[in-house]
Amino acid sequence: MSHSPLHISCQDVVELVTDYVEQALPAEEAAVFEQHLNFCDGCVWYVDQVRKTIDVVGELRTEDVPVETKVKLLTAFRDWRRE
Amino acid sequence: MNAYKFLRPDGSGVFTGFRWPLPGRVPGAWVRADLDPCHSGIHACAPQHLPLWIGHALYEVELDGEVVDDAMKLVASRGRLLRRIEGWDEQAYADYTRMCADRAHELARGRGLQNWDAVIEPSVPEGGALLGFVAARIAEEVDGETGYHRERAGQTEWLRDRLQLSS
Repeated sequence: MSHSPLHISCQDVVELVTDYVEQALPAEEAAVFEQHLNFCDGCVWYVDQVRKTIDVVGELRTEDVPVETKVKLLTAFRDWRRE
Repeated sequence: MNAYKFLRPDGSGVFTGFRWPLPGRVPGAWVRADLDPCHSGIHACAPQHLPLWIGHALYEVELDGEVVDDAMKLVASRGRLLRRIEGWDEQAYADYTRMCADRAHELARGRGLQNWDAVIEPSVPEGGALLGFVAARIAEEVDGETGYHRERAGQTEWLRDRLQLSS
């Protein structure tokens, strides 16, 4: 987080968003986070997108992923680990 | 105790989307919630909290049960809306935004903060919540946390005077 306890930046929002949507932020940090959302439409949009992504991904089952996509993903992960 | 609460224009909560029972000739129905600040509870503002949570519709709210008062808000286990603050209309919102922009210019130009000054007018369409923050941030840049709090206190006084807030 930024050094001031009074406010956070958009970068801080990106770093804290998972804890925020999981209600894992301490109350004081959550209040500063929401104060930022109160004036920053871009971050409101971002948090909303994260929430939607979590909702959609949370509904996916292994069998929902097409075999072709699964192979591509596994290949990509293997290549990433080699780098 | 009585306090204040900003809602969206349709009467829903800004962060929760909760549809508040709105007051008419009589207060709205009581709403109960487990008290866990920022996660659950009836969140409201004492006058000094209002600049932090500026929104488009403002109501007077009665809080009951356990009430926690922290630096940024009040949180209670029960609350009901008593009345809409009619003075907080689109004109008051625009006037507040302009006041904050003018203060921000005054602070920035007084200290030669041209980079800060340049962001003020392009931010005006974003409204009072952002301009109030910009003015307070410039004050913080000039005078540290003391400046930030002083600017927020000035915004509170503007709102108290304009809206004739009693508590």
